[in-house]
This record gives sequence, structure tokens and C-alpha cells, in this order.
Amino acid sequence: MIQLKDLSFSYLKSDGTKVSETPQLNNVNLRINAGEFVLVCGPTGSGKSTFLKALNGLAPSFTGGVITGELIIDGKNLLGLEPHEFASLVGFVNQQPENAFVGDTVIDEIVYCAEQLGIAIPQIKESVAKISELLEISDLLERPLATLSGGQQQRVAIASALVAGQKILLLDEPTSALDLQGAAEVLRVLQRLTSEEGVTVLLAEHRISRVIAAVDSVLVVHGDGSVTKGPTSTQFNDSRFAPPIIELGLKLGWKPLPVSTHDANVMWQKTNPKFENKTPFAPTEDVLTVEDLEVNFGSVQALQKTSFSLQGNQVTALMGENGSGKTTLCWAIQGSGTRTKGTVKTYKGDTAQLGANERLEVLTMVPQRAADLLFLSTLSAELEESDRFAEVEPGSTAKQFKSLAGRIDTSIHPRDLSAGQQLSLVLAIQLVKQAKILILDEPTRGLDYSAKHALAKQLNSLRSADRSVLIATHDIEFVAMVADRVLVLEEGKLVTDSSPIEVLGAGKKFASQLAEISNQPGLISLEQVQL
Amino acid sequence: MAATTREAHLLSAQKTNPLTWWLAGLSLAVVASLTGNVFVLVGICVASLLTIRLCRDESPWAQSISFYIKLAAIVVALRVLFRIIFNLGSSTKDALFILPSIDLDFGFGNALKLFGPISQEAFTLALADGFRLAAIILAVGMANSLANPRKLLKSTPGALYEIATAISIAINLAPQLISSLGRVRRARSLRGQSKGIKAITGIVIPVLEDTIDQSMGLAASMSSRGFGRKGNRTNFQIIGARLLAFLAICLIVIGSALLLFSPDQQAVQLTVLLVGLVAAGFSVKLSSARATITRYRKEPWRLGDVIILCVSVLLMVLAFGGVFAR
Repeated sequence: MIQLKDLSFSYLKSDGTKVSETPQLNNVNLRINAGEFVLVCGPTGSGKSTFLKALNGLAPSFTGGVITGELIIDGKNLLGLEPHEFASLVGFVNQQPENAFVGDTVIDEIVYCAEQLGIAIPQIKESVAKISELLEISDLLERPLATLSGGQQQRVAIASALVAGQKILLLDEPTSALDLQGAAEVLRVLQRLTSEEGVTVLLAEHRISRVIAAVDSVLVVHGDGSVTKGPTSTQFNDSRFAPPIIELGLKLGWKPLPVSTHDANVMWQKTNPKFENKTPFAPTEDVLTVEDLEVNFGSVQALQKTSFSLQGNQVTALMGENGSGKTTLCWAIQGSGTRTKGTVKTYKGDTAQLGANERLEVLTMVPQRAADLLFLSTLSAELEESDRFAEVEPGSTAKQFKSLAGRIDTSIHPRDLSAGQQLSLVLAIQLVKQAKILILDEPTRGLDYSAKHALAKQLNSLRSADRSVLIATHDIEFVAMVADRVLVLEEGKLVTDSSPIEVLGAGKKFASQLAEISNQPGLISLEQVQL
Repeated sequence: MAATTREAHLLSAQKTNPLTWWLAGLSLAVVASLTGNVFVLVGICVASLLTIRLCRDESPWAQSISFYIKLAAIVVALRVLFRIIFNLGSSTKDALFILPSIDLDFGFGNALKLFGPISQEAFTLALADGFRLAAIILAVGMANSLANPRKLLKSTPGALYEIATAISIAINLAPQLISSLGRVRRARSLRGQSKGIKAITGIVIPVLEDTIDQSMGLAASMSSRGFGRKGNRTNFQIIGARLLAFLAICLIVIGSALLLFSPDQQAVQLTVLLVGLVAAGFSVKLSSARATITRYRKEPWRLGDVIILCVSVLLMVLAFGGVFAR
């Protein structure tokens, strides 16, 4: 279906020279069969996205750069054509569907591509009926797009990419903004598309622990220009992006490496590995008290009456599906978000009463889009500005940043950093302010496993420095790694306040993958497993 | 009126063609620019507002009218205020009111006279000028709040498709800009800043980058779904149609401007306008003939559209009749 011959791609600087000596993709040769379900993975910033975009002309048309070699789709070399010339063969789905929508209602959106390709009306009708049936959105056709959940929106985006009978589907991190349920919905329809319709699917993802069991093969974009493709169990020698299930297999030396929860469970029962219980950290005194907090947006109750406190020396996770009120609660605690009733007390007083700079002495926050906090033109300027504001020794932020992200050329523009590096930068900027409380809203979005490990390590060291961290997230494996306490929101209501073992344990709604594999009470994270 | 029911009646925005509202709005604007009667102008303002009230739906652009109302009020107030401040020699004879006058002499030409007596006539003229602008603003506001830009895109003929797409994206960008402005401002307060840095860059840069990113994302999504395909049209046909469309628009604009600003020599102006319209028709025909795009759902023309358009045409005829009669 797809064949690449000596495909190379390099980004260019504005003066026409190549950005780096090693091209983003260097002499890639590989073949993808019709109906194959391929997972595209690799460390953050390695070029997964570029690889996908090269397959439908978006790179270099929309990214800049030069592409050479042969790109053979359905027997024809399409290299160098504009993306719209690929449209009848290849469908493309983005990370955030709401930014890519051109229509108002579901049906408008789905037919868009068919209209652009000039397909006759009766044929469009037929294919809309078929594709909406396949993606389980038949009863949503007349709904406005804005009223759909993230998972539904993403399925609409897939439908609109396949409506003209495209046999190849490219997806660039389609589930990274979705909660557990939304991600599961999308994965299920992808499996159906490959098995029933013979669609060739290339799926780029970071959260791959639950995907790898479903795919036929794994394609790794290594970041040094090389791209390899092979069966799942052979592709994860590089632990930077190996999901927990692979890491477990590697750690315990299992052969063959199990990739599905079921296979891993069989291996676990056979070998019965030892593990240690998690010893909870002793929290120190209350540093922040939420009392009867309520948030309404118009007539919508976003957060029902909520009370709890945060303690020092503790990492608290705030979990819940998309739209359950996590972000609303974070901003209400921070003090600048909407509050209908209630107080949030700290040693300086209620956070809503404090001025912006006073607040920063009590608590700092990293919002969902960390990059919103960056506004200077070089990394070094950002680091210096941070030192100046926090009135700390020059170089403090740089030191903090280096401990999170490693050594990075400080003359580059902050926007050219990868998602993980941007997060590290904002985190470093917030940490040097030395506030006792840190709030992180969805920090692991777009991070690979090694970046998550680095973040977890940092949070652990913060805890030992007697700080209090609140993380809003739906990343179960990350919560299993770092949290001492878990709060669960359901439709604006705080329904659970418990230990991670209770919330993420075997058989629970938010069971971690390791809990599912081992089926042992008290075991949720890989660190507990002993050799 | 207190409890507005939003049931779709004959003339409501959901049940009418968005193009109708633009045509109605533009004809109201033309009528407003042709008349000097304050009562007619106020009538147009009230009619536009009532129409919005009765016909709007729940869409976000229906909310934009408050902006137009404020703008219209400011324009009227400013126009009258300017007339009072920059007094161009009203006599004290039939003065409506007299303010102490100030003469500013900068040493060249006549002294600039500020304040002083304001005659009834001068005041009415200023008011009429103000209300004329207000009526035009509200008429356009009406079109903008009742015509769903995305539905409008679907009713445009193939020839104007690319222009319409650009306009539709631009219209959609405004609410997105506002939301990202809010988000970035909130995020900025999380960062705090030392005194050396100007506050404005911290907000403008992320918002601009965000907007550009999103527009590029949308463009990429449209392109990968076939937007911009030439199909089987030749370059010559595409460019020819575009040139013709451009020519037509120029002629129509020049023709109507001449007609409005110098009401004599109507034969020449009407000819220019007519040629423009014919050129527009040809250009649309030329590009639509070999259209490579299908329309899954065309916006139909319903009874409501016919009624609104008839009323608009009637108003135009009356207004032009008035001009010719003078």
C-alpha cells in the first residue's frame, strides 16, 4: 500500500541551509501493507509527526523543508505533490479535532472532503451512511460539533477523513487530549476499520500501553534520522518510550516479551515475581484548606460544594474524566478562576484576595498549555527573566531547568522546544519562585515515558523538600508512579479521597496496567516490583 | 417580548438563507445613505434591532449585536459632539443654545472657532449624519448577527468559493482570538514579571502565535481533505475567472460610489454598475460551469427569503425614487 524508497526529509533555516547535519528522516526504506495497523512511536521530538505529515504532503507543504526519495502510494510515486492531491487516497487526523473543524454540524464536517473531491451526491449519501455506522456516530449527524465530547469529536474527525473511501488513515496523537473512555472509543473504531474495512492505519501515540496489544506492527522514529519497523516485541530496546508493560517484561527478563495485558498476566502467574508494598509518606501540616468551594458557570454547576486540605510533604493527584471539573477546581484554588462560593485558605489568607505577585509567593501553577507562559525570543532570555523576577542568584533557573531537561542550547527560541522541554522550562520557572504549593494541570500530555520519569523524579524530590503538589491528570500510570493521595471528581463532585492503592488497585475503575497484569492488591506501579 | 421564544418561525435565522440577510442589510444601508431624514434613519435603526430580536437564533454571532449597538451610539454622540466643538459659523439668530465660544488663532488662515452658538439646523444636520452612520452600522450588524458565516459559505457560488472561505475563516477567528486572549492573560498572571519587561509583549506574542498556529492547523486540515484542488480546470480558466471577478467587483464598487456621492450624470454611473453586474454574472458562470466541488446540502430559498427580499427591493425603489424626484 505504502512504500518508501530512500525517503529523506530535512528542515531548512530561513537562509536555505539545513537546520542540522542529520536530516529529520534519513534514507528511510520500508513497506506498509494494505490493512496493516501500525503504531508509530519514538521519543518526544524525534519526528513522528513529521514522518506522518510526509506521507500526505503536509510536510514539506505546511512545515517547510525539503523531501527527496520516493513515496509510492497505491503504485504511484506521489512525492512532492500538494496535500490536496493526496486527499482521495489518504485521510489525516489531528491531535485536536476542534481546531481542524470547518463545519458547524457533524454532517457538514463529514461531507466536507467528499464535496471538495466533487463526489456525486447519491454516492456521498451512501458513504456517509456507511462511515457513520462504522464509527458509531449515526445518531449524532445533526448535532453541532461544539456539543460533542472529545471522543465523539475525534470519531467525527476520523469519519470525515475516510468519507471519500480513503484506504489509508494517518492519526497524529489522536487520543492525547482524551480521557480513558474517549481513548478507548477511538481505539475500538480503529481496530474495526483495519479488520473489517481493510483500512491501513498509521497511529502516532505517546500513551501506548493500551494500544500495543491491538496493532500489527510498530514503527519507531528514532530521532537520529533512522526509522525502523517490525513486530511489536522487537521494537522496544530503547526504554525512552517503552510503555510500562514492556518495561516490566524487560525488567523481569520475560521471553517472549508479552505485549497484551492477558499475555503478561499469564507470565506473571508463571513466574510470580516479588514486590514491596508502598510505604506512604507522612504528610506534614495543612498548607492549604479548601472550604465549601462551589463554581457555577451560568446555570451549569461545574463544581459542587467541595472541601479538603492539602498537606506539605505530599503529592496529591486529582483525577476524573474530561469535563469533570479538574481544571475549574485548579483555577479556583489558584485564586484567579471563577468561584461562586467558598474559600481557599493559605498562611497569607484566601488566594482570591491576594494580588497576582503575592499569590506567587504562596502557590505556583503550570496550566494545561505551559507554552502560554513563554513570551521571550530566546531560551536564555526566559531563564534570565525568571531569575530576575524570583530575585534569586543568576543561573538558578538554568540550573533547575538543566536538572529537568538536560543540557540544551540556550540560544534557541522557546517555541522550538519539544512539548516536554517546554513543560520543563515552565516548571523550572515556577519552581525557583520557592512557593510551598505547586499545581500542575495535565502535565504529562505529549510527554514520552522518559520525560514522565524525569518529571516523577522531580516531584519526588519536591516532596522531600516539604512542598505540596497537586496534579490534575487522567494519566493513570503517572498517578501510580507519583501520588500519595488521590482525589476523584465525577461531574463536578468530589467522590473519592483515598490512597492510590485503593483507587488504582486491581479491579478498580482506574486500575493501573500493572494492577491488571498482576491482580495483586497493593501493587500498582513498576517501582514496587523487585528482581 | 419579555420571554423570547426561540421557535423557528418563517423569518427566523435558522429558516432563511444567510445571503438574504446580507442583501437585506446592504439594501437598508444603501437606503440609509440616500436619505437625510432623521425619522427614516431612526426608523431603520429600530427596524434592524427589532429584526435581530425577532429572528436571531442561539449561535455565537447572534451575540455580536451588543457591540454594534455600542458602536452606533458612540458614533451618534461623537458626530453631534464634534459639531458642537468645531463650530463652523452658525449665526446666533436661530440658535438652539449658545455656548461660550473660544477662538484659536494659530497664525495661519482663519481662526479656529470652538463652541459658540449652535443653530437648530446645524444640530439636526449633525444628528442626521450621526444617525445615518448608525443606521448603516446597525444594518450591517443585523446581517452579521443573523447570517451564519458557515452557512453563508455554503450558499456562495463556486467562483467566490475561495474568497468566501477566507472571509469565513477570518470571521471565525475573532471569537477564537478573544478566548485565547483570556487564556493567555490568565496564564501570564501565573508567571509574574519583573519590571524591566513590557507587559504587552507577554500577551500579544503568545496570542498571535496561538492564532497563527490554529489558522495553519485549519488550513492544513482543509488542504489534506482536498481543499484547493484544481480538478480538471485549466490554469487559464481559473485565472480568467478570477480576473473577471475582480473587474466586476471594481466596477460595482465604483458605480455605486459614484451614484451615492454625485447624484448627477446618472446614465454613466448606471452603465458602469450594469456592466459590473453583467461581468460578475459571467465570472460566476465561468467558474461554476466546470465546478469541481459538489454541494451536499444547498441552502434553499424559502418563502421567508422571498418576503424579506421583496421588502428590501421595495425600500430601495422608494429610496431611489426619492433621490430622483429631488
